[in-house]
Amino acid sequence: MTSGLLRAFFRLWAVQGSWNYERMTGVGLGFAAEPLLEDLKSADPTRHAEAAVRSAEYFNSHPYLAGVALGALVRAEYDQVPGAQIARLRSALTSPLGALGDQFFWAGLAPATIAAAIVGVVAGKGVWALLVALLLYNAVRIGTGIWALRTGLASGTRVGATLGKSWLPRTVPLVGYLAAALVGVALPLAVDWFLDRQSPNGHLLLIGTIPVVLVAVWILGPRVTSARFGLAAIGFAALIAWGLS
Amino acid sequence: MIPSSAGTVAGLLLWGTVVGVDLVSFPQGLLSRPLVAGAGAGLILGDAALGLQVGLVLELFALDVLPVGAARYPDYGPGVVGAVLLASGHDMEHSLGLATLFGLGFSMLGGWSLQLLRQANGRTIQRYAAGLAAGDAATVAAIQYRGLARDSLRSLLLTAGAIGAAAFLQPRLPESERFVLVSAVAIGSGVAAALGGALRNAGHGARLRWLGAGAGVGLLLAVLW
Repeated sequence: MTSGLLRAFFRLWAVQGSWNYERMTGVGLGFAAEPLLEDLKSADPTRHAEAAVRSAEYFNSHPYLAGVALGALVRAEYDQVPGAQIARLRSALTSPLGALGDQFFWAGLAPATIAAAIVGVVAGKGVWALLVALLLYNAVRIGTGIWALRTGLASGTRVGATLGKSWLPRTVPLVGYLAAALVGVALPLAVDWFLDRQSPNGHLLLIGTIPVVLVAVWILGPRVTSARFGLAAIGFAALIAWGLS
Repeated sequence: MIPSSAGTVAGLLLWGTVVGVDLVSFPQGLLSRPLVAGAGAGLILGDAALGLQVGLVLELFALDVLPVGAARYPDYGPGVVGAVLLASGHDMEHSLGLATLFGLGFSMLGGWSLQLLRQANGRTIQRYAAGLAAGDAATVAAIQYRGLARDSLRSLLLTAGAIGAAAFLQPRLPESERFVLVSAVAIGSGVAAALGGALRNAGHGARLRWLGAGAGVGLLLAVLW
């Protein structure tokens, strides 16, 4: 089973490569499972055929943590766990792996990394700040990916309990605090950086736009995202500037 | 500064494709973030500072977005590459706002193209249903490779569209003083977007206090620097 570990790990990097509304990342997980299931082919061809079908069925989770599910499901196949139980395990892992990964990476580490990079850029470190931030982020991401696959393979059907006792749920709030603090630091510095690069006649408008957009997006609700409102506001400003120029 | 060499155009096309594919398919290593995509485009054009400025404004908008699962979210990367090209050769004070407008527009287009990609992948799944039902490894691999190739093509076309549009608009960009105000609105809107996203993520608990503490430190540093 361990012979295909490296290939499975790299295939997990593209687990969302064929993302679709029917099976979501299911086919991507099946693609990553294939090298790990190879040993089963010679040992138990019937079981292997069933496992191959199950491996590409519906699945969704945070992509970086898909290895937890992959490892656990493959281990369960080798342990001859009944197919119905494996299907239940697959389904049960979807929400916790999605929620943990989204909170840890998308709402935590990613904004923290970008905010740190912004601080570095406005401090004059330029592209180097970005490179360091990217290297650190991807080191954590790769480390987590290796841990995820190993944890899944070692735990099998007990993966839920193992995951619950692991470092991940405990770290989620801490990464959230880090992200909040770093975004808090980065925003005033970014405003100051842009003010230094804009002529004074635009300063009042720049500062004034912030509460206006903030309140407008809050009043208009979730259907009007800040990007859409920003697009409209900048477009409107451009039209006025064009008319006056 | 319209890219004068085929190498520069090829570099921008390649970079835009890489950052577009990075968003969802491979390797999801934050290359698709506007700040990174912008810096890369700036480096290719020989002006990293330009890329960082355009990328930073668009990054402020991106900080409001959580790229969660089936949700529809913008694809900033290819549009940022075009936006950097659009702003190149111009005074940043005048062109930053219009470049942001351009980048946001293309990011929406990118988000829409992701929906089409997912639907096309779904049709492939239906076409290969028999192979999937039989557990055929070659079928699974074929679906996966087709998905990756389709996303690469999507990102390439989006980047080509952004570069083409930027190259057409770039010499026609107005230089009037009034466009400084458009840049001010763009930056202000971006800061509001990032702040709104941070407040929403922070909720009412400890995370909000950390955000407040961070903002205090940031204000202090802004005054001291």
